[in-house]
Amino acid sequence: MLDLSRVDVHRGDIQVLWSVSLAAQEGKITALLGSNGAGKTTLLNAVTGLLRASRGSILLKGRPIESRPVHKIVEMGVSMVPEGRRLFPEMTVHENLELGAFARKARRRRQETMDLIFGTFPVLQGRRSQMAGTLSGGEQQMLTIARALMSRPKLLLLDELSWGLSPVATQAIFKTIKEINGTMGLTILMVEQNVSMTLETADYGYILENGRIVGEGRAGALLESEQVKNAYLGIGDL
Amino acid sequence: MPQVIIYGIITGAFYGLTSIGLSLVFGVMKHLNIAHGSLLMIGGFVAYWAFDRFHVDPFVSIPLVIGVLFVLGAALYKGVFCRLDALPEGHKINNSMLVGFGLTWIIDNLAILFWTSDVRAITPAYMGSVVELMPGMRVPLVGAGTVGLALLVIFSLHLILTKTYFGKAVRATAQDRDAGNLMGINVERTYLTFFALSASLAGIAGVVAAVNYSVHPTVGFEWLLKAIVILVLAGVGKIGRVFAAGLALGIAEAISVYFTGPAYREVVGLVLFILVLLYRSK
Repeated sequence: MLDLSRVDVHRGDIQVLWSVSLAAQEGKITALLGSNGAGKTTLLNAVTGLLRASRGSILLKGRPIESRPVHKIVEMGVSMVPEGRRLFPEMTVHENLELGAFARKARRRRQETMDLIFGTFPVLQGRRSQMAGTLSGGEQQMLTIARALMSRPKLLLLDELSWGLSPVATQAIFKTIKEINGTMGLTILMVEQNVSMTLETADYGYILENGRIVGEGRAGALLESEQVKNAYLGIGDL
Repeated sequence: MPQVIIYGIITGAFYGLTSIGLSLVFGVMKHLNIAHGSLLMIGGFVAYWAFDRFHVDPFVSIPLVIGVLFVLGAALYKGVFCRLDALPEGHKINNSMLVGFGLTWIIDNLAILFWTSDVRAITPAYMGSVVELMPGMRVPLVGAGTVGLALLVIFSLHLILTKTYFGKAVRATAQDRDAGNLMGINVERTYLTFFALSASLAGIAGVVAAVNYSVHPTVGFEWLLKAIVILVLAGVGKIGRVFAAGLALGIAEAISVYFTGPAYREVVGLVLFILVLLYRSK
């Protein structure tokens, strides 16, 4: 579904990503793990076009997207839940969802998609006409996911879903993600600091350190690997 | 006294029209477009020429004015203002002011070149007519048209911003530009259309100015000062509040003229302006 090969990204004069190659398989959940400042968000922003890759190629279903404008990439089926939620706080839940279906094709199926989404997130239906800024943290995170699904994406990018959530709420959100992946057959690329919970949800994982991919493997295998245990879980043999 | 209030309301409705485009663009795009006054002046001249040459009623020529200013606004945005969009907010406000001042010079002097600096007014046949609401309360027909037009503009803008996808895109990008972009909104095109729309609003105000007062090449800057006072009174981005502030200023001016004579008309607005700045800064 998504293929990055040898991608470099700069923010201003500083190079953040160094020759990153990564693939997200169709229908699977791929996780990108790494500590703060490793370049995870930068990588997602390069996929959506908010940042430009200075070298390398990014293919969506075999078609290059690295030089297309953001709104075109969204129309092609990429949707992102940005870090820190980034809802439109002074608009209602309903309006936030409508904006999620802004792309022309999604707009036609708006009602149908919204009914489907209210099935997955019944809480949101009850709060339709409430301002998004007045929702609780967990509800806001549900709304960002729902909003991202309104465009009927093929590829869903999730940036730090656990941001600002309690462990219980995080667990609930991750369960929902697994369900969406199953029922909609959606390809998901998720970026997380919460390593153990993410690897239990994902199928495949990559480890990003200082802008370079330093490890990859099936999620189960990564969870068992010494590298991950030592660096992220704090349970390795020292 | 009721008569004074009526004149105040008419003036206030006009002030609201003058300020609304400036305020919306500032609220959404963070461009403080000083050239808004010059666009107003052009709107006035378009209506004037339509009336002078083809005897088109000024209120009838409004759609034409909207069209002309929309195109001009789009060109100004594409040619000039869109280059400032990448700047951080504070720089954008400062630079758009500088650019706007420059454009005001250019546009106003071109207008003098083409149309001379004569003061002109649109004087349709119904110019002096008044409607008597109650004994002693008379409403000039043109004034009633101005208030009606202002109401129509408020209502249409409200519908556009709350009911259409374009309006929602505008509000969304005003709250979070990148998030809006991620929804699939073509931010650049949305801004272009919105800027052009605000130029059209300046044009409408220009027609009203040319009918109620007069139009000449440097008239825009005089009205721009009013528009900025209202922008400060109203705060940013709420249509209703812009018109409420316009009315407040209009009525306050009318009352002061009633008591102290026209010499102090401008003083009232500026005193209000300073009071709001002092009060707000706390």
